[in-house]
Amino acid sequence: MKKLHDRYSIPVSKIILRTMKLTVILVVLNIVNCFASVYSQKVSLNLNNVKFSEALNEISQQTKLDFAYSKEVVDMNRLVSVSATNTDLKNILDRLLDGTELMHVELNGKIYFGPKEFESVIQSAFLQQQKKISGTITDATTGETIIGVNVRLEGTTIGTVTDVNGKFSLNISKPEGIVVVSYMGYNSQRVTLNGQTVLDIKLVPDITKLDEVVVVGYGTVRKRDLTGTVSSVRAEELVKSPTGNVMEAVQGKISGVDIIRSSGGAGAGISITVRGNRSINAGNDPLYIVDGIQYPNIQDINPNDILSMDILKDASTTAIYGSRGANGVIIITTKRGSDGKVKVTAGTYYGISDVTGYPKPMNATQYANLKRQAYKTNGIWNSTADDAKIFTPLEIAAINDNTFTYWPGLVLNQGSQQDYVVGVSGGTEKTKVYFSFDYFKERGVLNNDYSNRYTLRLNIDQAIFNNFKVGLESQLAYYDQNLRNDNILTVASRIHPNFTPYNADGSLAKFPGNGAQPNPLSNDVPGAYVNQNNITRLLSTAYAEWKPFNGLVIRSNIGVVNASTRNGHFENANTISRALSTGSLSSITNTTQTDLTWENIITYQTKIGDHSLNLMAVTSYLSNRTDNSTASGTGQLLAAQSFYALQNNPSNIAISSNYVGSNLQSAAFRFNYSFKEKYLVSFTGREDGASVLAPKNRWAFFPSAAVAWRVIDENFMKNLSVISDLKLRGSIGVAGNSAVKPYQTQSGLLLIPTSWNDQTALAYGLQPQTGNKDLTWELTTTKNIGLDFGFLKNRITGSVDVYDSKTKDLLYLQQLPTTTGGKSLLNNVGKTRNSGIEISLKTVNVQSNNFSWTSNITYTRNNERIEYLPNGSDIASSLIIGSPVKSFYDYKKIGIWQTANLALATSFGYKPGDIRVMDVSGPNGIPDGKITALYDRMVVGSAVPKYTMGFSNDFKYKNFDLNVFIFARIGQTFYSLYAEKFEPNAIDNGAVCDYWTPENPTNAYPQPDSKVSRQGLPFGTTLGYTDGSFVKIRNITLGYTLPSSLAKTLHVTSIRWYASAKNYFTFSKVKDYDPEGGGSLETPLTKLVVTGLNIEF
Amino acid sequence: MKKLIYTWVLGLFGLMVLLTSCNKKLGEYNPSGLTPSSVYTNAAGFETLVNAAYTYTRFWYGKEEGFSISEMGTDIWTSGSADVYPQLTQYNNLQGGNTAALTLEWNNFYAAINLCNTGISTIANIPDYTATQKATREGELRFLRAFYYWHIVETWGGVHFSTEPTTGIITTANKTPVETIYTQIFEDLKFAIANLPATTTDYCRATIPVAKAFLARMYLTRGMNAEANTLAREVIRNYGYFLLPKFADLWSMSNLKNKEVVWAIDYSTNLANNDHTTATYPYGHSNGSNNGHLFFRMVYDQVNTSTLIRDIPYGRPYNRYMPTLSLLNLFDEANDSRYSGSFQTVWYANKASGTVKIGDTVAYCAKTTIPVALQSPKYTTYDLAKVYAANGVPIQNKFYVSLSKFLDPTRTSINEVQSARDAFVIRLAEMYLIAAEAKLKLGDADSAAYYINQIRTRAALPGHTAQMQITAAQVNLDFVLDERARELCGEQLRWFDLKRTGKLASRIQSMNPDAAKYFQPFHALRPIPQTQLDAVTNKDVFTQNPNYN
Repeated sequence: MKKLHDRYSIPVSKIILRTMKLTVILVVLNIVNCFASVYSQKVSLNLNNVKFSEALNEISQQTKLDFAYSKEVVDMNRLVSVSATNTDLKNILDRLLDGTELMHVELNGKIYFGPKEFESVIQSAFLQQQKKISGTITDATTGETIIGVNVRLEGTTIGTVTDVNGKFSLNISKPEGIVVVSYMGYNSQRVTLNGQTVLDIKLVPDITKLDEVVVVGYGTVRKRDLTGTVSSVRAEELVKSPTGNVMEAVQGKISGVDIIRSSGGAGAGISITVRGNRSINAGNDPLYIVDGIQYPNIQDINPNDILSMDILKDASTTAIYGSRGANGVIIITTKRGSDGKVKVTAGTYYGISDVTGYPKPMNATQYANLKRQAYKTNGIWNSTADDAKIFTPLEIAAINDNTFTYWPGLVLNQGSQQDYVVGVSGGTEKTKVYFSFDYFKERGVLNNDYSNRYTLRLNIDQAIFNNFKVGLESQLAYYDQNLRNDNILTVASRIHPNFTPYNADGSLAKFPGNGAQPNPLSNDVPGAYVNQNNITRLLSTAYAEWKPFNGLVIRSNIGVVNASTRNGHFENANTISRALSTGSLSSITNTTQTDLTWENIITYQTKIGDHSLNLMAVTSYLSNRTDNSTASGTGQLLAAQSFYALQNNPSNIAISSNYVGSNLQSAAFRFNYSFKEKYLVSFTGREDGASVLAPKNRWAFFPSAAVAWRVIDENFMKNLSVISDLKLRGSIGVAGNSAVKPYQTQSGLLLIPTSWNDQTALAYGLQPQTGNKDLTWELTTTKNIGLDFGFLKNRITGSVDVYDSKTKDLLYLQQLPTTTGGKSLLNNVGKTRNSGIEISLKTVNVQSNNFSWTSNITYTRNNERIEYLPNGSDIASSLIIGSPVKSFYDYKKIGIWQTANLALATSFGYKPGDIRVMDVSGPNGIPDGKITALYDRMVVGSAVPKYTMGFSNDFKYKNFDLNVFIFARIGQTFYSLYAEKFEPNAIDNGAVCDYWTPENPTNAYPQPDSKVSRQGLPFGTTLGYTDGSFVKIRNITLGYTLPSSLAKTLHVTSIRWYASAKNYFTFSKVKDYDPEGGGSLETPLTKLVVTGLNIEF
Repeated sequence: MKKLIYTWVLGLFGLMVLLTSCNKKLGEYNPSGLTPSSVYTNAAGFETLVNAAYTYTRFWYGKEEGFSISEMGTDIWTSGSADVYPQLTQYNNLQGGNTAALTLEWNNFYAAINLCNTGISTIANIPDYTATQKATREGELRFLRAFYYWHIVETWGGVHFSTEPTTGIITTANKTPVETIYTQIFEDLKFAIANLPATTTDYCRATIPVAKAFLARMYLTRGMNAEANTLAREVIRNYGYFLLPKFADLWSMSNLKNKEVVWAIDYSTNLANNDHTTATYPYGHSNGSNNGHLFFRMVYDQVNTSTLIRDIPYGRPYNRYMPTLSLLNLFDEANDSRYSGSFQTVWYANKASGTVKIGDTVAYCAKTTIPVALQSPKYTTYDLAKVYAANGVPIQNKFYVSLSKFLDPTRTSINEVQSARDAFVIRLAEMYLIAAEAKLKLGDADSAAYYINQIRTRAALPGHTAQMQITAAQVNLDFVLDERARELCGEQLRWFDLKRTGKLASRIQSMNPDAAKYFQPFHALRPIPQTQLDAVTNKDVFTQNPNYN
């Protein structure tokens, strides 16, 4: 099959099938009507025990009709008797066939005899005798053929649907009239025949897709009936350019969803927040639901398996998930099989990745000069004649030899990504199967940093009866990865540039230049640093669905997620972290996790006059169990034993194991009502009972309500031709954040290592974090007003949502007076608030036969702030009331004290060359001429952007397609570890920076000073805050699809070749660094150039 | 058939709905966690509580935080170049919000006291303890509670006091007069003496002499000099302790458990048994075990990197503290073995380079001025002129005479911060000095001189015993403090000694110019940690110590 509509969670094929049947019946009825007069001819007969053939001859003579039959089927010698006077022909034929398994059909003035089940054969035989209109229906934007398109002759009941190749044929009496072509998700087209018999029609996608179905919690709803805020992403959007993690593909494409990839390491995760950060202690990750089952490991999912992704954002849609819904819900529906022709898709790509930029530490000359300046400040160095005072003989030799090692360059390489995927879908009317295999391999930019992912999926739907089906969705993900997590780049950026990594004999130096820094290349030696994960995760869901009568659906899902993870870790004695310790370090950690979900859903849908009702009720049981064990030891003799023989470690043998379990039981309902399909209301509620809470708070109720008004359907809108769609939505509801970890209501004991007489003794003290028996859910109340609109026959469509979400009972690790013996307690005390606006726009800019240009624009502006904390702003944790959760609180650097300001600088207690910070305030609320921690620190920035924008453009010219996607994240600050890496005493290498000297009165960096360390540099932390705003061309993809005629010669349905440049162009104020990386020097982000091929059979 | 299946399906569905809505599954199962109610209920479990109650001493003894509070800001030490808490060393900008050392100790002392309170209030309910076991363990817990409260009351004054375990959410704290807290300390220690055994097979468990020695210190602190003298004398005479013949032997790693030690923190040679933070003990100390070897060491590895490099015997030089010139001048090194027994002045080459052979002198620190002409060109001399100005202010604070009492050459690597060295809390010499001070205060200078001479006789270099003897006329409070400095410097008693004798201000003024610059009388109490002040809800009652706002 070429193209299925992708909005359905229920099999599309079934609907198509039904439609086809219906069409056939209509055709038959039509024919019967046309030729009704033939059957009503009157015949008189009086035959007794004559051959059937004789009887027919007799009738033929009277009526002048022809008969057709197959001798193999129809026994012409059978003896029949009939006696009738002036009787309808039909009646007589019925009587003649009485007692046989035969039937008669009157077509085109001819009467056919045959077995009853041959009806359709006869029909088609008949239809060929008609005037045949045929053609192919294709998508005007993609050029792909479309299956299941309804083709109908206007004003008649003659019609059909397109087949798996997008082809149709219609038999009509004469090629005149108007053919109406319609398909869900596309604008209908009317074609006047005027004698044409071949029609090749291009359907233009209907951008509003009013009949599009949106997946919401525990069900689907037509987009036109939606009262809440849901963003949907089409399958092809997810695979437009290759990505390892599917969420990367939607960065910037969904308004209200902030997606950041902050690490370029192999298999690195992605951080996602929906409508801002609500929680301080709890995570802000959204809830992922895959085929109805909670599944947090989104990176496991093969993007090609996804049929649709729907992001629930407002409370009226998330409250159905109760205590888990507050951070938004991302629902993933995977592809199903369909009957008809087996469809095989295969794809592969290969790409080369490279760091998007890496800020270089100083070169040997720059470093030597910094050190000289540092000592010059203290009068120790005055000219190169004094070099011996500050450099070791080795260093002086290196300076003279111009030795320069660019250490990060020695450890950074090119990485790669490759992927091989095959998917097969097929089935019969009753059994439908989809299965796929995906192998994704990523090599990071550091040696031995790699991740292999194997994903296998099997989805089966089996109808047992017409109204009862069962099925299975099953996915296995296996990872084999080795992740570098060893601070190698931090060390490489720090080690002196005039040292070389090798000894005179060519061996690797443990401490280059006899310095204090271990050699980063020690970690690059094969087997020296091992951090290997073997992860297997199985997600398997079985369901049974019964539709006892029209409108009622009863469904039960049981899902099991089983994960086993093994981390093996080894660092030999020379590695960065062990060089300063004794011997190697080995450890192994095994984790087993089992999540069980069992949900029962009843849905009832009915329509009484203008009133439509949709009722749904759910019961749900979730259980999560995790246990793990860890063993470690140090100092084994043979590095080659890695982490496989921990018993050979002589020292620091340590073991531990742990169990964590929780249960959640729930009941939920949803009530949707619409009047005249114009006025819509919806209520949901969920009652959650959680084991993690104390008995008295165990059960909580999460309600929501929403209304929508389809303004466009009102009479007064009929004349406004400019506006083609208009809907107003409003909702309010409460959802929770499942932030409470198990056992937080219990005060625990702490095992304290101790001994008597050198013999280990057991000691259990009290945990500093005391249990809170009053713990309850963090509750977020969200109000949302939204407007969906379409202009110019939906050439421009979009929606605007304005929301205000307030979180109360915020889980906060409240600091206790430690005189109680405890330190802290998780308590429901804080408040946060997120309000904002999100806009998404889709426009068809150009639409012509050969060329089209469509755009997709998103804009998100969120105002995140903490509203209340029990002890006011928590400065130690940078939690400032009125500011976002992720804020930076520090002094504000306004430059460097200059010689001209000597007197003023002295009055503040500083000297020229020191960092000058703003005197913000004092005890009396006005600047007091002193810099104090209490009065002069302020929020200097936040990691949260002021707004984000996405601008995606799709161009199509003939068989070429081009996607250009621009992403902007504006107004955030990040803490640049590079910018902050100014070493005033040149003890380590650091950033290339413009530092102050009496001769160079800059305002950028302070004066080097051999007596001041980086940690001791007054206000040194202010150097790191950097404007992180960026605009990047996230993706450019050029594709070419082979014309179908050529594809046919290769016996494939389609072939598309593409090449992408990902993350290649970033515009920001930061040099040599991708600010999306958030300031870390350790895992720089990568850019990727990739090419691939997609084939369909 | 179809009908039958549907009936079954419907029936099963109804059953499932019923099952899922049952509430039973919502109890928590926590096999890997422990709670007081599951552990502190029988003898075996209660033993773990008592063991744990001892472990909090490790946050003070042998730790930088403890050294900074108990030894720094006195007459005998000042900041090395890498001092982390100059506010404690010099009283400059000392605040409750910027001194993590104070917060660490405050938190852990109160955690310890709450654990002791929990044990003391529930020990009566332990069914399988014998009466003797009960008495012993309660004696230990009360001894420890008194011990912890002493640190609190001397450091912060009349702050929060409770003998009840904390239950429920408490967000207030009280201010209790010093006198009330001492009343409890005396009551607890008397209980301990009455109930503890005289000896123990677990080295460093509290015993009668331990409690008596500590009570002697408490009596002296509170001016109850006769009682202090009596108890000190009992400890000296009755429990088999004696002064080691050679002062230097006290600090040998192979001789830690000797008969001069009354009570110590017994850091295990199996470092995993100590208090280093690990994944399984996240609330431990960031360094763990005894770190005393790190802090008092000058950066010998920066003298000449080609001949003198960091090695295990010389230790890892953290360069935190340096002696005041006054401390060095207290020693008469010609007669007193305690100068060389306490300090390192010479460093020898541990790397051959050029003409320098291993064992050749590389650095020499002297407390006198050596004429340049007499200084050897073969090694670096840090004489008085290169280290201290005439008024005692350090000229530089990287190269100086370094306390060597706590060195640990048995560490397995150069950079190992953990040492298994026991931290001496009470040793017999202190009992002599308590007895002497008590007698002096009682007006018996003769006896005071007698006790001090016992100490000085042991300290005398061979053949110099006579020169070390003092007369009753020489004894005064300053002399006792001088003698305590010579004997106990670095042993985490100095700040208490100066406070007890009322000499904190005067001796800082006369002996420590760095600290004198900022010291104010209110500094005799430390600031209460800001985190505590932020967390209490009765902020009008529980206020910061005076003048720290």
